[in-house]
Amino acid sequence: MKAMARPLIIVGSIVVIIGALLPWATFVLNDGPYPDKATLEFFDAPFGLSSFRLYLEILGLAGLVFCFVPLRDKIRVLKAVGWGALGVALINTLFIIGDGGGFGAVTVADGVTAFGGIAAVIGAAVLLYGAFQLPAEPKVVINPKLPFWAEWLILLVAFVALLLLITETLTAGGHSGVSDPYIGPLFLSYLSAAGALLGVLWAVGVTKWISDMSERHRIFSIVVLVACAVAVPFTSLGNDYWMTITANIGVYAATAIGLNIVVGLAGLLDLGYVAFMGIGAFVAANLSGAVAAEFGIRLPFLLAAIVAGIVAGLFGAIVGSPTLRVRGDYLAIVTLAFGEIFVRVSQNNIGGLTGGSNAIPNIPDLSLFGTGFNDSLTIGGVQLPSGVLYYFLIVVLVALVMFVFGNLKNSRIGRAWIAIREDEDVARAMGVKTGKLKILAFMTGATLAGLAGAVFAHKLATASYDSFQFNQSVTLLAAVILGGMGTIPGAVLGAALLFVLPEELRQFSDYRLLFFGLALVVIMRFRPQGLIADRHRRAELADQDVTGESLDDTVIKEPVAVAGAKEAGA
Amino acid sequence: MSTPVLQARDVSMVFGGLTALKNVSLNLDEGKIVGLIGPNGAGKTTFFNCLTGLYTPTTGQVLLKGAVLPGDPAEVTAAGVARTFQNIRLFPSMTVLENVLLGRHVRMRQGPLASLFHGPSFRRGEAAARDRARELLAFVGLGKVEDELSRNLPYGDQRRLEIARALATDPAVLLLDEPTAGMNPQETEAARQLIFRIRDLGISVVVIEHDTKFIFTLCDQVSVLVQGELLVEGTPDVVRGDPRVVEAYLGKPPEEVEAELQAVQEGETP
Ligand SMILES: Nc1ncnc2c1ncn2[C@@H]1O[C@H](COP(=O)(O)OP(=O)(O)OP(=O)(O)O)[C@@H](O)[C@H]1O
Ligand SMILES: [Mg+2]
Repeated sequence: MKAMARPLIIVGSIVVIIGALLPWATFVLNDGPYPDKATLEFFDAPFGLSSFRLYLEILGLAGLVFCFVPLRDKIRVLKAVGWGALGVALINTLFIIGDGGGFGAVTVADGVTAFGGIAAVIGAAVLLYGAFQLPAEPKVVINPKLPFWAEWLILLVAFVALLLLITETLTAGGHSGVSDPYIGPLFLSYLSAAGALLGVLWAVGVTKWISDMSERHRIFSIVVLVACAVAVPFTSLGNDYWMTITANIGVYAATAIGLNIVVGLAGLLDLGYVAFMGIGAFVAANLSGAVAAEFGIRLPFLLAAIVAGIVAGLFGAIVGSPTLRVRGDYLAIVTLAFGEIFVRVSQNNIGGLTGGSNAIPNIPDLSLFGTGFNDSLTIGGVQLPSGVLYYFLIVVLVALVMFVFGNLKNSRIGRAWIAIREDEDVARAMGVKTGKLKILAFMTGATLAGLAGAVFAHKLATASYDSFQFNQSVTLLAAVILGGMGTIPGAVLGAALLFVLPEELRQFSDYRLLFFGLALVVIMRFRPQGLIADRHRRAELADQDVTGESLDDTVIKEPVAVAGAKEAGA
Repeated sequence: MSTPVLQARDVSMVFGGLTALKNVSLNLDEGKIVGLIGPNGAGKTTFFNCLTGLYTPTTGQVLLKGAVLPGDPAEVTAAGVARTFQNIRLFPSMTVLENVLLGRHVRMRQGPLASLFHGPSFRRGEAAARDRARELLAFVGLGKVEDELSRNLPYGDQRRLEIARALATDPAVLLLDEPTAGMNPQETEAARQLIFRIRDLGISVVVIEHDTKFIFTLCDQVSVLVQGELLVEGTPDVVRGDPRVVEAYLGKPPEEVEAELQAVQEGETP
C-alpha cells in the first residue's frame, strides 16, 4: 500500500477540490434571512455562509502541493490536511442532511442532483487514507539561531496572528449568534480548517519552535500577551456581546488555572471546586453594600476581593485537610460532598448569607474615577463597548492568577506538588511534607477561585447559588483536562472552548451537549495529554505504550495503610 | 570507639501474623560501607523501611548520631538519612535535573511567599540548588542528560539518578537497596567505584545486594539476614567463611559454594 500513498492523496485532493465546487444541496434550505441564497452554493452567502467551500479548496490544493514539494514529516502534514478536509466536508454534509431534509438533500431530489458534499467527504477520506500510508518519520525539530530582535519580531507576529485567529474563531459566522441559523456549521467548519492549519504548523515544527522561543523570552511574551488581551476590545470583538462572553471566559479561565494547581500540579482530584468561587462571590456580595446583603457595609472592591479570597482560602484548607487521610477516589468523593453541601446551604440560605433562591441581586456596579464599569468608554476618540472596564479588570485578574500559577510551579513548592502527583510515598521519603503541601495546594487554588468569584459577582451584579452547581465544577475540570493539565495556556484554551462552544453551538440546542460530550471523548482518545500539553505529561502519556507502568512495583505501594495512618498522626 | 553514625537497636517488625524482622541490630560506623545480604523475603527492604521511618518498627529504636530518629520519612530525610529503592522510584515525568532538585527540597528554605514572588534571595537559592544538582549529576556521571525525562533514561542511568537524588539531600547515611540489580558487569563496576567515591565524601553507606561477590569486595562489614533474623555479622572474610551463611543464605551444595568463593577471592587479587 505504501506505493499507493501518493496516487491516493492526489486523487483525494482533486476530488475534494471538485466536490467543493459542485452543488451541495438539492434545494434551498428554508430557514434563514436569505432563503434564496441559502443553498450552500456560494462563497459569499449571508455571514460568509459558504466559507466552508473556501476551506475545502485551500485544503485540497494544500494536499496536492504538499504531496509534491519536498517536505520532512510529510505524513503528519498530510494527516492534518486530511483530517481538516474530512471535518469540514462531514460537518456541512451532515448539517444539510440533518437540517435540510434527509439524504435526498445531498444526493438527488425532484430531479435535481447535488453530490458535492458526498464527493468532498469521499475525497477527504481518500486523502486521509493516503496520508496514513506514508512512511512514518521522526518529529521535525526546527531551531534556527536567530538574533534576539528577530525572535521578538517572530513572537510578535505569532501572537498577533494568534489574536486574529481567536477573534476570527469567536466571530466565525456573525456576532450575536442568534440571528444566523448557520452559525453552528460555520463555526465548526472554521474550527476544522483552523485545526488543520495548526496541525500543519505543528507537523513542520513551527508551533514547538515558537513555544520554545516564547519560553526563552518569557517576559517579552507576557508583555505581548497582555497587550494582545488589552487590544481585544479594539478588534471585531469590541461589542457588548463579546465583552460579556470574553469576560466570562476570563473569569472561568482564572478559576480553571486555580483548579489546575490542585489537579494539574498536585494531582488531587477536586470535584467541588466551584464552591470556592461561590464562597468568594457571596463574601464579595455581602460586602458590596447591596440591599439584600447581610452586612450593611460597603468595602472598597479591592478589599472585598481580598477578604473573599482569604475566606475561600480558609475553606480550601478545611476541605483540603482530609487529604491527609484520604487519597484518590475517596478524596474526590469528599470534595464532591463539599460542593453539594455548599449548594444546599446557599440554596436554603442557611446562615442567611446567601439570599437563598432569591440570590443577592443588585450588587452595585463598580466604578473608577466616576465611570461605572458597565458604562461604555471613549478612549482617544474610539468608542469602546459597555462592560469594557470589567473586561480589563478580568484581564488583570487572569494575569494575576497566571503570575501566581507560573511562579509557584517553577519553585520548590511547585516541584514538590508535582512530585506528590507523581509518587506521593517517594515524595515523602525525599523529605517533602506532603500533608502541608497538599493543604497548601487546596488553599491556593481556593483563594484564586475566591478572587475570581468576587469579580464574577460584581460583573453579574448577582450572586446566586445557581451559578455554582456541580456541573460547573465538572465543566471546569473538563476545561483543565481538555486544555492540558498543568499548563496555563491549556487552562485558558479549555475554559474558552468550554464556555464559548455552547454559545456557538446554540443552533444545535438539543444536541449541543451530545456534541460536546462527543468532542471530549474524541479529544481524550486521541490526545489524552490535552490540547496544550505540559512537557511532562506529554511525554508521560505519549509513549505510554512503550514504557508503560514498569517503574511501579509493590514494595511501598502496599503499606499505604501503614504510611498513611502515620502521616495522619504526625 | 566513637558512637556509630547509624544504630538500629533490636528492631522488630510484625505485619499481622508475619514477623518480618526479629530483633535486628546494626551499627554503622562513620565513613564505612556495610553490606546487607540475605535470601529473598529475608526482610532487608523492610529493614530499610524501618530505618527511614516509612514503617514504624513494632519494637526497637533507630538512632542517628546517638539521637532517636523521628518517625516520619520526611523528617528522617531531613535528619540526614537518604535512600534509594529496590524497584526504581523516580518521578518518571520530571526531568533528570528536576528529580535531583526535588532531592534538594529538604535543604532549601523558600516558603510559599518567596516561591510566589521570586525575589532576589529566592533566585539565589534556586540557582545554588541548580548548581549543586548539576554537580551531583556530574558526580554520578549523568552530566549530559539533565533535560531528559527521567523515565526515558536507560535502566542503569535511572539507578544512578536515584543515587544523585538521594545525595542531594546532603545525607550522613545513604541506604542503597540493590543498586546494581539489572546492571551489566561494566555498570556494576562503575557502581562500585561510585559507592567508594560516596564513602570518600564522608557519607556512610548501607548496601543491600544479592551479588555476594559485589558485597564482599565492597564492604567493610557485612550482615546476613535470614527470615527476619540477623544470622551473622562481621568482616567479609568472617562472613564468607561462616558455614551457617553458606548453608542458610547460599543454600547451595558446599562444593559449589567453595568454587564460587574461590572465584571471589581470585577476583579480589588478580
Ligand atoms: N507492608 C507489608 N505488609 C505485609 N507484609 C510485608 C510488607 N512488607 C514486607 N512484607 C513481608 O515481609 C517479608 C520481607 O520482605 P522484604 O521485602 O523486606 O524482603 P527482602 O529481603 O527485601 O527480599 P528481596 O531480596 O526479594 O528484595 C516478606 O515476606 C514480605 O512479604
Ligand atoms: Mg528487598
